[in-house]
Amino acid sequence: MEISPDQWIIYEWHGLRLNATIVFTWFVMAILVLGSWSITARLSEGETVSRWQVLLEVIVSGIRDQIADIGAGDPLRYLPFIGTLFLFIATSNILTVLPWYEPPTGSLSTTAALAICVLIAVPLFSITKRGLLAYLRSYAEPTFMMLPFNIIGELSRTLALAVRLYGNIMSGSIIVGILISIAPFFFPIIMQLLGLLTGLVQAYIFAVLAMVYIASASKTHRHGSKEAEAAGPSDEIQNPGE
Amino acid sequence: MQLDWLTIAAQIANFLVLIWLLQRFLYTPITRAMAKREARIEERLADARKHRQEAEQEARTLRERQQELDARAEKVLADARREAEALKDRLEQDVRKEFDEKRSNWQEQLEEEKAELVRQLRKRMADQVVKVVRRTLSDFADTDLAAQVANEFARRLEALDAENKTRLSDAAARPGSTAVVESGIDLPSAARSRITRAIHDNLGADIEPDYRTDEDVVLGIRLTLGEEIVEWSAGSYLDKLDDLVRDTLDAAGRSDLTATT
Repeated sequence: MEISPDQWIIYEWHGLRLNATIVFTWFVMAILVLGSWSITARLSEGETVSRWQVLLEVIVSGIRDQIADIGAGDPLRYLPFIGTLFLFIATSNILTVLPWYEPPTGSLSTTAALAICVLIAVPLFSITKRGLLAYLRSYAEPTFMMLPFNIIGELSRTLALAVRLYGNIMSGSIIVGILISIAPFFFPIIMQLLGLLTGLVQAYIFAVLAMVYIASASKTHRHGSKEAEAAGPSDEIQNPGE
Repeated sequence: MQLDWLTIAAQIANFLVLIWLLQRFLYTPITRAMAKREARIEERLADARKHRQEAEQEARTLRERQQELDARAEKVLADARREAEALKDRLEQDVRKEFDEKRSNWQEQLEEEKAELVRQLRKRMADQVVKVVRRTLSDFADTDLAAQVANEFARRLEALDAENKTRLSDAAARPGSTAVVESGIDLPSAARSRITRAIHDNLGADIEPDYRTDEDVVLGIRLTLGEEIVEWSAGSYLDKLDDLVRDTLDAAGRSDLTATT
């Protein structure tokens, strides 16, 4: 039994292996891009709007409002990054309803890649907003003594981000696989449904946490500490899902 | 479980490409469309607000104009009413004045007619009385009326007291004064000489009276000496009759008047 789709090699050419993770990622990307393109190519700016456009507007404005609620200034600045995180993870998790499909988020490589993106995006957003010095100074707050702990916190939360998503999705697939061998027909379906729910919740948690990290790093110290407090409960939200 | 760094790198690249693609095909068009729609809605709302304000402004203007018109109409009506009242008063006064004038004219005319009638009646009565008296006197006393009148005047002249006689003779003696005897009927020479004699006896021998006829005296004699006048006339008897006739005519005129009004 394969734990990670990384080990599922679909094509190999001169030592370069094209594994299932990348192929299914492309599949998800294709669905997202083609779906958006087919709808946005016929956008209406008048009163009569197609239902697909309404769907997209609801999703986009929902993400935008969520970002605005977390409060780091102009939500449109973070929308591409956070929105893409959410849409990618959510789509790749929902597509598990397809029988031949393996979610790319069930691979630690994918979740690590996303976590690394967040790790890089947090200082990038912070520096473009506050400047390099202010960002670096935030590591030495409230005192210089906290510098190592801040750095460790930065890294550990990235690790937690990656492992949390990977563990949830991977476990979902594995549980279904085990249940099929123990109790076929009925139980796996329920677990599959629960897996869909978990997948959506994880997508939401991943995106919101990324935004919270960005917001807390992008704010001044005073607001940042408040934001860190606000991030605390958010961290705990994930526990029921795990 | 192991990390495949090549896959991680590929996934990072995939993710960045996905961000770019979605930015190009999803976020930008959708947010632009939403922003445009919102702008359009906002524009329409602003337009509606503007129209509403305009409409309210117009309604206010119309209301003010309406009130103005109402006030003006009220004023015009009040003026017209006042003018009509004034005209009515004036017309009423005119009519009343005209009516008063007419009534007074009519009354004057009536008075004149009455006076004329009385005068004629009196004259005719006097004539009749004189005629009757004359015939009666001539029938029963065998004397004519003129002689009787002259005798009566002479007797009354004699009967005057001394004071009156002195006054009359003084008046006659004044220079430039004339003596005139007027009578209602033409006096014959016997009667005239009887009167002249009585004047000479009582008032002064040098008085030469001038005889004239005046119908107003009726049955009697009037002696004018300068400014003094002595008169005896049967006209005083007629005066009572005259008063009676006048009263009767007045009563008749009043009842006529009340009947006409």
